[in-house]
Amino acid sequence: MTSLGQLTLDSDTASSLLPETVMLVGLITIVLIPNLGDAKFRIPLTSVRVPVLLGGSRFDMTNDPRMPNRISNITFLVAFLSSLVLISESPREVGGVLMADGFSRIFSTMFLGALLLVSVATTHRIPAKTKAPIPDDSDSKAAIDRKISVLIDNRRQVDFYILLIMVGLGMSMMTMATNLFMMIVCIELASLSTYVLVAFHKESPAGGEAGAKYFIVGSVASAIGIYGMSLLYLWSGSLDLDVLRESWQAMDGVDPFAAFGIGMMLVAFGFKVSAAPFHLAAPDAYSGAASPISGLLATASKAMGFVALFRVLVIITVPEGAEALWMVALGIFAVVTMTWGNLAALTSENPKRMLAYSSVAHAGYMLAAIAVVGSGISSTEESVVILTAVTFHLAVLVLFKLGAFLVITHLETEGKGHSIDHLHGLGNRDPMIAGSMFLFVLSLAGVPPLSGFLSKLLMINGIVSTSASTGSSDTSDIATWAESVDPLFWLAAAIVLNSALSLFYYLRIGLVMFFEEPVSSKPLKAAPSLRMSIFACAILTLLCGVGPVSEWLLDLVNGAIDSFMHQ
Amino acid sequence: MINDPLTIITLTPILVSLVLLIVPKITSSAEGLARASRAISMGVSLGMLAITTMIFLGEIGNVDWSNYNSGYYLTNDAVALIPSIGVHWKVGADALSFPMIWLTTLLIPISMLVEWDAKKGYLFHPLILMMEGALIGVFVSLDMFVFYAFWELTLVPMFFLIMIWGGEDRKYASMKFFIYTFTASVIMLIGILVMYLYTPDVASSGSITGHSFDMSVMISSTEFIPSEGLRHLVWILLLIGFATKMPSVPVHTWLPDAHVQAPTAGSMLLAGVMLKMGAYGFLRIAVAAFPESTVAFIPLLIFLGMASLVYGAWVCMGQTNLKRMVAYSSVSHMGLIFLGIATMQPLGIAGALFMMFAHGIISPLLFAVAGAFKHHYHTLEIGSMRGIAHHSPWLSAHMMLGWMASLGLPLLAGFVAEVTILIAFWMSFGWLVLLPTLTLIITAVYYLTSMQRTIFESNDPHQGILPDTLHGEEPRDITWHENAGMIILGALTILFGILPFIFWDMMSEWSSGFLLETLVQAMQSEGVKP
Repeated sequence: MTSLGQLTLDSDTASSLLPETVMLVGLITIVLIPNLGDAKFRIPLTSVRVPVLLGGSRFDMTNDPRMPNRISNITFLVAFLSSLVLISESPREVGGVLMADGFSRIFSTMFLGALLLVSVATTHRIPAKTKAPIPDDSDSKAAIDRKISVLIDNRRQVDFYILLIMVGLGMSMMTMATNLFMMIVCIELASLSTYVLVAFHKESPAGGEAGAKYFIVGSVASAIGIYGMSLLYLWSGSLDLDVLRESWQAMDGVDPFAAFGIGMMLVAFGFKVSAAPFHLAAPDAYSGAASPISGLLATASKAMGFVALFRVLVIITVPEGAEALWMVALGIFAVVTMTWGNLAALTSENPKRMLAYSSVAHAGYMLAAIAVVGSGISSTEESVVILTAVTFHLAVLVLFKLGAFLVITHLETEGKGHSIDHLHGLGNRDPMIAGSMFLFVLSLAGVPPLSGFLSKLLMINGIVSTSASTGSSDTSDIATWAESVDPLFWLAAAIVLNSALSLFYYLRIGLVMFFEEPVSSKPLKAAPSLRMSIFACAILTLLCGVGPVSEWLLDLVNGAIDSFMHQ
Repeated sequence: MINDPLTIITLTPILVSLVLLIVPKITSSAEGLARASRAISMGVSLGMLAITTMIFLGEIGNVDWSNYNSGYYLTNDAVALIPSIGVHWKVGADALSFPMIWLTTLLIPISMLVEWDAKKGYLFHPLILMMEGALIGVFVSLDMFVFYAFWELTLVPMFFLIMIWGGEDRKYASMKFFIYTFTASVIMLIGILVMYLYTPDVASSGSITGHSFDMSVMISSTEFIPSEGLRHLVWILLLIGFATKMPSVPVHTWLPDAHVQAPTAGSMLLAGVMLKMGAYGFLRIAVAAFPESTVAFIPLLIFLGMASLVYGAWVCMGQTNLKRMVAYSSVSHMGLIFLGIATMQPLGIAGALFMMFAHGIISPLLFAVAGAFKHHYHTLEIGSMRGIAHHSPWLSAHMMLGWMASLGLPLLAGFVAEVTILIAFWMSFGWLVLLPTLTLIITAVYYLTSMQRTIFESNDPHQGILPDTLHGEEPRDITWHENAGMIILGALTILFGILPFIFWDMMSEWSSGFLLETLVQAMQSEGVKP
């Protein structure tokens, strides 16, 4: 094992870490640029003044409050594209703790795409005004408040985007980590930034409450995870994933240290993917945070949890041809999670809470698929198909889950969006946005030929083809057959039934958008870049469901998962 | 590549309609453009009719259909859509689907013609054009995934047609229409997925799941579904989807509401083609894939068919709304299709096929007449207007022809279908045939009363009773374009009544081939006499 000290920054390493380098540069730029000014330093005893650029009165360009947003957009765009290009590069180990390969790049592309959308959408969610008036005494109280809030929004532009880039850095490093310690550190980097982002709108009580809840529950979960990690260290003497895997394979019986360690890490990651019963903070956090951030939590942050689960559960603890320790527990968690999520979503009157619970339900579907991988009856090929399905689902979730949150963001720009009433009559006010929203919820429900159907079909197919062959084939009685089939088959049935259940609340959104009287007859704000992101999500939701784009994406994911499973 | 005629007639209408719907939005000017879209829609739909007619006169018309295994005609080389899960663009036509395809291309220009001056024509006609592509797509696709996608796509234009141009209760009706048919198709989708998950391994074709949505592969999946109970279950799931579309009692309740509220062209397409999707899918997928389940559930089919037939006719007698009555008569006639299939006779199945076609010509005529009443007399109440033959001679003539055709007058298209189904029914079930036969008398009763009370029966031979809704205005006869559409439909009704063999030959050949290949074995193993 090479240690961190041996990390050298040669050009190959730099190119394989290009997205991270870009984000680092972006981070420095976003700190520096708004501080550039015409300050000069007078060389003592002379009258020569040397410009030092930092400080003084700001240049017009660097003083522009829209600057941080632009830098962040460009950073994420470049990082996203470079990560996309790097997917097909050959794997490369960096410093013994990172492994840049197709698998990690698939996920970092996913995260950076989500962050790019969030960054673009925030242009309108936290607007920056170039000519913000300064309140004076002649203004009324309301006018002063309004002007101050504009000034505050201008002032905190930089903070927001710095945090966002930190999230991106943490997440994309996390995908590459082959060492548990590195992984936890990266997850914490991303998580701590998201805690602040959730509470970013501290002027609203909901924002503060959401941030506090999310932070407390999240940090407890992290603490448990870290404690589990330390138990694993005690047991094996290393946190390297390969070493842990070998120790696990060589383990005679079940070592309590190892079992508790894995169980505790499961709790931490369960919180990240918002699996029941660790999901309780999620609906509050999602509904209190600004919608782009909620979308980020529901897509990228969740996917990060799944990467961790892939690494820890599938790589370390899946024995060859035998049932993994956690299989039954994960299966039960999965069913509870999806059912709880859907039932809670049915009764939600707040679209953000509804989407949060639907996100819990989706976590359940994916956990069910992972449980089958751990069952020991799936061959490696079948496991590849299942994990491909989960990864593909996470990837397209960025499109339609985040897209739905972006539509809510659009409502938030006019101060609405926290009640289903605000969606009423959206079809009349803005047919294109309402149509996109309808597409998103249909895809969430898994209606063909949208991408949500494709991924769900692949998962169900994976579960059924693994388990259904176990049923005896010569029975004519359905009851006998049902008894003889492996219990895993019922995970597929649970997914199907839950999807049917979820149709009710998804279609309800379409119903109120097109049939109820609008709350106001005003058309929605123009918000061009937000609108553009929504339409991009909508078009991709369709394209990733059928046709060459979906095929390309699926091939990409399949190839990456294939090499991940065979490493 | 995609250059076969079936692909063209499926995709052209959809693409053109999308362009026509989007372009006025972008240019935002264009009154003239909006008006042109109506002419373009009509031109495209006439072009499609020309293509299908030429196909019929050329290749399809001369095929010997009795060899069921010879497969489909005008197929293309499958083009991969999502090869990872085995989805391909594969189209074809046979004697089951071709009459429906031709019917669709025929009805689209006629329904456009009847509503030539619809409000918001720049949306109306493109939506109907989109409907054409979606409907043809259902009939031609030989890939279950594509089939399902088109099946759902038909909902979209119809939903908007009812929602935007419908009557007073259009919101309720369009919502009910959408929810009913959507829920049913989701149930059907579950059945389709179970079939998919049991298709034989075709991993070599690039499918990472090892399964395929190809219809012929899907149908053969039956042998791989392990338990008979599961096969029956899948069959029931499919039946729910198809029966709701058809619609059969007890899942028919969306139809009267949708019909009463829909605009005339919407009703014509709904009754003319959309209902047939249910029967088509049932034969194409459920019967072909699960012959044993079908044979086992013959009593259920008879029950559903009888219930629709008798209940539909019985309810018709109590209707006071002309359009509602016609809608329930559709339910009643669709019941005959289940009865025809349940006979398990070549004659019965061919009769069911001909019923699909004949009802597809007659019911649009009925709805065009009802729509014209609404348009010119502003009411659909039976009895609120009397003796209107004096005011609207053309309308009355069309009404008479349509009503007579629908109640099964010999030498009109409906008679051929009814009489063959009844003969086959008698051959299979003997005296049970009395029930449907007697129901046809009820049919005659409600049709004749409604006709007599509307166009005849006034005290003064020169002055009928006009409805209050006219507010004393002088009623006018139908417009030229309504008249033209109805004349075409009426002429076809007579044509196919006198010369049914135009489509009958291919239907009966196909039916005997289909029966021989799929059902006979199942019947023998179930001990049912063929």
